[in-house]
Amino acid sequence: MSAAAFYSRARRTALGLALPLAALVAWEISARLGDVPSYLIAPSVILASTWDMATTGELWQHTSNSLVRALGGYAIGAAAGITMGLLAGIARPVERFYDPIVSLTYPVPKIVVLPILIAWLGSGDASKIAVVTAAVFYPTFINSLYGAKGVNRIYVWSARNMGARPIAVFLKVILPASLPQVLTGLRVGLALAFIVTVAAEMQNSRNGLGFLVMTAEDSMRFDLMYAAIIAAGVIGFAGDRLLVTLRRRALAGQAIGKEGAHG
Amino acid sequence: MASSLGRFVARWYSVPLVLAIWEILARTGAISRRLMPSLVEIANAAWAALASGDLQFHASISLGRALTGYALAIVFGILLGVAMARSRLFDALFEPIFSFGYPVPKIALYPIFIFAFGFGSLSKVMMIFLECLYPITVNAFYGMRAVDRVHVWAARNMGATQRQIFWRVLLPGAAPSIFAGLRVALPISLIVVIITEMIGESRGLGYYISYVSASFEYATAFAGVAAVAVIGFTLDHVLVWLRNRLIFWERGAAFIGTN
Repeated sequence: MSAAAFYSRARRTALGLALPLAALVAWEISARLGDVPSYLIAPSVILASTWDMATTGELWQHTSNSLVRALGGYAIGAAAGITMGLLAGIARPVERFYDPIVSLTYPVPKIVVLPILIAWLGSGDASKIAVVTAAVFYPTFINSLYGAKGVNRIYVWSARNMGARPIAVFLKVILPASLPQVLTGLRVGLALAFIVTVAAEMQNSRNGLGFLVMTAEDSMRFDLMYAAIIAAGVIGFAGDRLLVTLRRRALAGQAIGKEGAHG
Repeated sequence: MASSLGRFVARWYSVPLVLAIWEILARTGAISRRLMPSLVEIANAAWAALASGDLQFHASISLGRALTGYALAIVFGILLGVAMARSRLFDALFEPIFSFGYPVPKIALYPIFIFAFGFGSLSKVMMIFLECLYPITVNAFYGMRAVDRVHVWAARNMGATQRQIFWRVLLPGAAPSIFAGLRVALPISLIVVIITEMIGESRGLGYYISYVSASFEYATAFAGVAAVAVIGFTLDHVLVWLRNRLIFWERGAAFIGTN
């Protein structure tokens, strides 16, 4: 890296930090001077209490509750979405079956069935996992469908011509070729899984980060509330970064020669 | 005629099929009738809710909140996205906020919004605004960035002013991407309005659905879900119709936007 490039990058980073830092400093100062509403406790206090809760394991308990729900629903929804999506992408009858159902229900917010799912499955993990599953299914299905449909036919013909069986064609040609789209769907789905989990817990739950946010708010324990918000933000962000890293690895060979391979 | 009917059946057969399976499950009592009301019961409940005016009342409140927050996000999102694409300073200032904040579940901030904006519509509208702002801004930004440089050079060469280049080259070039962002944000506005109404409210479809299912009126709850489905489906189709009118040169895009 040349000196000029280094300085321009450093300048960019500094500018990027400017707004959040300015906001934090202003918040800290005004909280200390005491001229803000009581729910805006000082960032330094939030940080200290979050650290305390993280080390005593109290925060971890609720975080793991949320993670079980988000990842459980994510795993089921994504597995179903990718399998069905890829199948629909290569087999017309499967696509014909799903297309009207998916296009009719796609714009419907899945969270709306939560109260009914709670009546069916109780207010424990099952109803939350079910609603996360439904929410994750759509983006993974749609992206896998378009990924498989977009596979260059010539690759499939060549593989067949060289004597590959249908299963081999699926595993070695269609799956790798639609992987970029599949991973896009997985990324959208993961963000949705966390949002829906937290939202479902805010609505009706006895534990989890969403529950913690709401009870802390009710009992005016603002330190708890911010700790839960920070934990929700951290797992959402970390999950996304993890997927982006995985995506870069999985697609290492495919990005060659394509500019703007965004991550 | 016969073949067009055949094509229609081939295209849509799965919807009545699923509904028929539902009806059979409900009627035979394979799943408890109370939990899974038959379609006829749901239709009756929907009719009763419409006749009493409950459904329209709550739906209009939810719709008003969702569309207000959405409209605000469109205005500020496109402005921000354009500013970030046009100015290095704006890009450096805001890019990290959008790329770091994107995967964070912002709904967790709702309690703070309640404190700041009260329990009524304002906190919900602001929450919708914040959640919708992200996809709209990011797509407007990438759309403006992806405009072919050659088009800009050509316009400049032919003597176009900055303003003309913006309105006649950059904005139309970015329009498909901007619409993709609007399409992503639209269901988000509905999700957020429903969730926030479920959490704490005495009006709106989110409240209505959780209230009637808590009183074990599941047929009415399904009628509420159907109302949300109709709203979501209609709004999405209006948006696609608008898109095809405004970006007529790029018709035939996939029905379901994937990016």
